[in-house]
Amino acid sequence: MSSYLSLSGINKTYGNFTALGDVNLEVAKGEFVTFLGPSGSGKTTTLMIIAGFEKATRGAVTIGGTDLSDLDPHQRNIGIVFQNYGLFPHRTAAENVFFPLQMRGTKRGPGLRRAEEMLEMVGLAGFGHRYPKELSGGQQQRVALARALVFEPSLLLLDEPLGALDKNLREQMQIEIKRIQRALGVTTIFVTHDQTEAMSMSDRIVVFDKGAIEQAGAPLDIYHRPQTRFVAGFVGESNLVPARIEAEGVAQSPVLGRVAYLPEGQPQAAPGQEVTLMIRPEHMKLSRAPLDGRMNAPMRIETIVNYGDNALVIGRAGDTLLRVRVLGADVVILKEGEDCTLSWLPEAARLVTR
Amino acid sequence: MASLSKLAERSNLWPWLLLLPLAGYMAIFFVIPLADVAIMSVTEPKPSLANYEKVLTGALYQKVFLNTFLTAALVTVCCLLVGFPLAYLMSVSTPRVAMLILLLVTMSFWTSFLVRTYAWMVLLGNNGPAIWAMGMLGIENPPRLLFTRFSSTLAMVHMLAPYMIMNIYSVMKKIDPALVRSAESLGARGGSLLRHVYLPLTAPGIANGSVLVFVICLGFYVTPVLLGSPREQMIAGLIGHQIEEFLNFGLGSAMAMILLAVTLAILAVYHRRFGLDKLWG
Amino acid sequence: MRLFGFAIVLFIAAPLVIVVPMSFSTASSLQFPPPGYGWQYYVSYFNDPGWLRPTWNSIFIASAVTVLTMLLVTPAAFALVRHRFRGKGAANVMMMMPMAVPHIVMAVGYYSVFGQMGIVHTKIGVILAHTCLSVPIAFLVLSANLKGFDRTLERAARSLGATPAQTFWHVTLPILRPGLVISALFAFIQSFDETVVAIFISGRNAETLPRKMFDSIRQEADPVIAVISTLLFVAVALGLIAPILWRAAAKSLRRGPAPAGRA
Repeated sequence: MSSYLSLSGINKTYGNFTALGDVNLEVAKGEFVTFLGPSGSGKTTTLMIIAGFEKATRGAVTIGGTDLSDLDPHQRNIGIVFQNYGLFPHRTAAENVFFPLQMRGTKRGPGLRRAEEMLEMVGLAGFGHRYPKELSGGQQQRVALARALVFEPSLLLLDEPLGALDKNLREQMQIEIKRIQRALGVTTIFVTHDQTEAMSMSDRIVVFDKGAIEQAGAPLDIYHRPQTRFVAGFVGESNLVPARIEAEGVAQSPVLGRVAYLPEGQPQAAPGQEVTLMIRPEHMKLSRAPLDGRMNAPMRIETIVNYGDNALVIGRAGDTLLRVRVLGADVVILKEGEDCTLSWLPEAARLVTR
Repeated sequence: MASLSKLAERSNLWPWLLLLPLAGYMAIFFVIPLADVAIMSVTEPKPSLANYEKVLTGALYQKVFLNTFLTAALVTVCCLLVGFPLAYLMSVSTPRVAMLILLLVTMSFWTSFLVRTYAWMVLLGNNGPAIWAMGMLGIENPPRLLFTRFSSTLAMVHMLAPYMIMNIYSVMKKIDPALVRSAESLGARGGSLLRHVYLPLTAPGIANGSVLVFVICLGFYVTPVLLGSPREQMIAGLIGHQIEEFLNFGLGSAMAMILLAVTLAILAVYHRRFGLDKLWG
Repeated sequence: MRLFGFAIVLFIAAPLVIVVPMSFSTASSLQFPPPGYGWQYYVSYFNDPGWLRPTWNSIFIASAVTVLTMLLVTPAAFALVRHRFRGKGAANVMMMMPMAVPHIVMAVGYYSVFGQMGIVHTKIGVILAHTCLSVPIAFLVLSANLKGFDRTLERAARSLGATPAQTFWHVTLPILRPGLVISALFAFIQSFDETVVAIFISGRNAETLPRKMFDSIRQEADPVIAVISTLLFVAVALGLIAPILWRAAAKSLRRGPAPAGRA
């Protein structure tokens, strides 16, 4: 993969506190990459370093081969959509979008026309004369997007832009942003703590925790093959149980008993090694009696939460609480307090060694 | 130019550069005159502490200091008696009425002391509305109202009441009505409601307003000079008199320094207790 | 309690209102009720250079004070709101000091120092003194405004290609403008109304309106003062009521597309 954006050895310390420890990443041109992680994980700090608003203590940021380290934010040609949009209240939407062109010397006439074209592209044709306070949250967002893209930046950065929108609007905007990004082919970095958002929009997800990259990969890759406990727990629901390797393909867990797993595509693990087993709740089934062809373990049901189309069953196996997702129709026969059998296929068991 | 400002930023010089014009200006045109007053108090007409001796021990001066303090205290209390009920009235009226009253108070606040003092001269004059009203009420031989301690104090209350009212109202406005209702539901009425709910909760506003009114009143020049009795002067008027009439800079400066010291002491105590930034909101 | 409240309202309002009818009085001295009503004193005021000159002086001086104050205070506000540095607290206190010092004390100082410098009874002297006295309030208002400034806007401008200077000019200043205007207004009013220091150091050619009024009240209680008082009071009333009316009018005019629709 030829990389367009390159972060090498990025390190950021504030006195004794390390906000970022040795971040390395390569992003290809036109890729949509999401930085995913909880608050304080370093994803926004990394974004700010790329943008030039923070200076890395060590390390370099390169775009298209050019080292950005000595460049001020206004020299970097990067488009940013901020969390609260950052629209200039004293300018109309069109004038907002015209601003970067104005800074680059474009005359007002052609500049405003180009701005109107951009607004049309984000679905706001005819809204150019409105002031930000006359626009809804979603509309303001589109203007911010148009403004960040109108000058054809080498990179687009979005800092948790959808946080303030309600669910339906958020989903709508996710699709919109993706569509525009595809149309323009601009390399994009999207920061969020919402993992469903990351899953639906990204070409690749980079998971951050405590100032370091835990894992980077395609969404389904991250989902089905998490490499660390944190990623397994943060992305999607999971059941994480400790286990010890007995032999290749076999592990012993105090909670689930003897567990068979498929060694291909899993991390290396030697007999005697302590690992964590991950099984996604939707890969488990519940039944009264053990099922053939599946791994089984006893469980006592503690809580059933019925969402209508699906249900979450929380139960106890050993001394550990496990979560199971079942179809709404299947849950009606189960009762809280009952004993039942938990079962899963060996493919569902995933080893996590870090 | 750009690189110069960048250099300044890097070495944390930039804020100082921004502050320099103002700091320099104040050093010259504020500190120096003030320092001059301090210096004159001990050097005019000869270097000595004679001025302070005279001012601190002389009967006339002691009388004036006492008068000033008492008047300031009286004005402060009256402002409270006037301000608290009005603030209360505003907080229990409809928003429209409250806004109208606030508008009136604000208009009074923004009308200069001079204009308002003149208005009181009109009101209390020998041929003015007050005397006329008393005549209407059948009062024979009404007392003279102007140029008395009464007129001076009354007018000062009017000048300074807005400070008190605004301070108390801003705090009162923030009292959660739910608090009042729960107190009432527990049996508190009228007087005890006042004592146990309103007074404690508005105490910061009361303290704030009182300090402000007292301190301003101590140094009040215009109103006492124009409306007050020449026999019962306040400090500022006496200072002005010494400077203007007798060109006695030494004595005037000594009195000014004492006034300043007392004012700053009161503000310093207030700052220690509450923080001065509260004073001007 | 309500009756008492109403009485207080009357107490606050009466002096403000009384000057208005008195200014239209035809009597030659303060007399209530006025024997007749007419415009004579208004005519007197607008024709008397003895009153017009101080009025103009005050306007001129207050304008100059406003400009000077804003030039000094604006960078200082930026320094104190946006930067952290040693001595910040002391700088803050120093700036607020003129508010804590009684004007009579400053008046003595200015009379002495400016007397020695030869600028007593000159406009420049009054301007220099009044600027000091306007600084605290102008600073307070401006820094309050600055504290509420959304710095993301400046970051956005930087990211869009604006140099720091361009950011200041195109983004910071326009958004700060209302705060600057109000700050300037406060500085203007502070200087225009200032009486005590003016009594001592303005005079003859540089006589301010308050100084003239003070002298006049002391000497003869000229009814023209009622005219000036009325004009000043009306100015204050307009200044306070006008924004309210304007906002109400703007609201009813802008019954256009609903701002809070969903995208």
